Amino acid sequence: MSNSHLFLKSGFPRAPLQNGLGRYVCQLQRITLKFCKNNGSSKGMRDFIENHLVDFAKENPGIVVYVKPRRHRTPVLVGEYLNGDREWLSCRNSTQEEITKWVDLLRTQNGSSSSLRLRKMWHTDVPSIQGPWTPFLLRSPEAHGQEYPSVEASKPLDAPQTATEKLIELFRQQKQLGDEDVLSQKRAE
Amino acid sequence: MSFLRSVAGALVLARPLNSSRTVQTRRHIKRWVAPTLRELAHRQQKQGPQKPEPRAGYVEWNYRSELFAFGKRLGENFELPQLQEAFTQRSYAHQEEEKQRKLGIEEGDLKIADNQELAKMGSHIARAYVEAFLKQSLPKVPKEGQEAIASYLLSTETLANVSSHLGTKDLIFTTEYPPSPESLAESLQAVIGALADSSGVERAFLFVRDFICTQLNQKDLLDLWTPKQPVQLLEEICQQRKLGEVEPRLLGDCGKNTVLAAYHVGIYANRQLLGKGFGEDVPTATETAALDALQSLFDIHENRRPFDFGLQVETKNVRLGN
Repeated sequence: MSNSHLFLKSGFPRAPLQNGLGRYVCQLQRITLKFCKNNGSSKGMRDFIENHLVDFAKENPGIVVYVKPRRHRTPVLVGEYLNGDREWLSCRNSTQEEITKWVDLLRTQNGSSSSLRLRKMWHTDVPSIQGPWTPFLLRSPEAHGQEYPSVEASKPLDAPQTATEKLIELFRQQKQLGDEDVLSQKRAE
Repeated sequence: MSFLRSVAGALVLARPLNSSRTVQTRRHIKRWVAPTLRELAHRQQKQGPQKPEPRAGYVEWNYRSELFAFGKRLGENFELPQLQEAFTQRSYAHQEEEKQRKLGIEEGDLKIADNQELAKMGSHIARAYVEAFLKQSLPKVPKEGQEAIASYLLSTETLANVSSHLGTKDLIFTTEYPPSPESLAESLQAVIGALADSSGVERAFLFVRDFICTQLNQKDLLDLWTPKQPVQLLEEICQQRKLGEVEPRLLGDCGKNTVLAAYHVGIYANRQLLGKGFGEDVPTATETAALDALQSLFDIHENRRPFDFGLQVETKNVRLGN
C-alpha cells in the first residue's frame, strides 16, 4: 500500500441492506457511456456499443444505460450505485473485450471499489462466540466457600518442602512404623 | 525571468519593423491562467460548500426508464403511472398546482395525484405483515416485545434507510433535495401500496419480508426491546409457566467495599439455573441476571438460531382487517 492510500476511505466488505438475504438486488443503478463518434481512442467503446450494448441492456433491465456522444473527448464509463457512489473509468484506447470486462465489474460490485481501502478481508459483528472472559469463568468449586484471609490460599503453589517439614514427616513415618511393630509383636504373643 | 521574457517579446515585436518578413505567430506562455484559476478557487471557497445537485437535472436523465428499471431491479412488475404517483409527495403536488393556477389553467385540469392514499395503504400492509412475521418467528416473546420490535422495523429511520438503498432518492418528486427521511419513508410505503395494487397483496407481503423484515438480521434484539422491570416480569413469566419460585443467589463476588466491586448473581427457579449476570452491586447484578434469564426464556439470546427469511407467512394469518 502506498502513501496515497492513507487518506482513502476505508471499510470492511459488507453487503448493503442485507442484500441477498431476502432477494438479490443489483447494486449498479445506472451506467453512462461517453464516447466520441470519430476519434480513434473511442474505437473500442464504439464497437462495444455496436455489438454488446443492446444485449447488456436486455439482460439487465434493472440498470439504466445512457449513451452520450461528445466530440473529441476520451471515452469514459460512469457507474452509479444504489449506495450513492459514483465510479468514473477512463476507457481510452481500450478494446471492446476490455470494456466488456469493466462493465461486468461495475455490474457485479456493490459500490465504488476503487475508492475504498479494505481494512480486512473479512468482518464480523460478533467477534467472540463464547463471550468475554471474566475472573468468575471456570473457577474451581473449592474457591466458592473460601474465607479470606486464608493460610491455604495465600501459599505459593510451587513452594518446595522445607528441611524441617521433611524431618517431621520422617519422624512421623518412623513413629507409625514403630507402633505397627509393637502391634504385630502383641498379636504374635 | 519575466523581465527576460518581456525583453524577448519586445525583440519579437520589434523584428517586423526591422525586416520585411511577415509576423510569426508565437505560442506565448499564458500568464493569465494561474491567476484566474486562483481567483475562481478563492470565490468558490468564499461561497462555501454547495448543495448536492439533483440527478434529474443532468442531460442524461430519462425518468420513464428510471421508473421501469426501479421495478425490474426489485424483480417486480409495477404499473408505471401508479409508481410515478407513489413517488409524488403531497407538497410537490401542491406546489405544481399552485404554479399551474398562476398560469391560468382551469381548476378541473389541475388535479395532480399524490401518494397519500398509497402510503396509507402501504403502511397498513407493512404493519400487518411485520406483526404476523414476528408472531411466527418469535413465538415466545410477549406481545409488548413484539410491538417494540415491529415499531423499530416500521420507524421512519429504518424505512428511510431501506428506501434510500433501493434508489428512491432520485425518483421522488419533493420540494426539497435531498428528500427528507420522512418523504423517503413515505414513498417506500407508497411503493408497497402501488405493488399491492399492481401485482396483488401477496407480492407486497413478500416485498415487506425481503426488504423490511431482513433488517432484523444480526440485530441484538435486547437493543430493540429491553423490559423495564425484568425481575417482576421474570416472576410473572415463571408463575405463568409454572417454573417455580424465582430465587436470586450470589455466585461470586470480588473487590467488595472497593470502587471496582463486582458481583456475580445467578437466578434459580426450582433448583434450575435460569440465567446469570454481573453488576457493580447486588441489585444491578440481579437485574442483569433476570434479563439474561428472560432472554433465554423468550429465545432472543444473541446466539439464537438465525431468523428464517424464507418463511412463508400464510395470508390468512396476516390480519389486514380493521
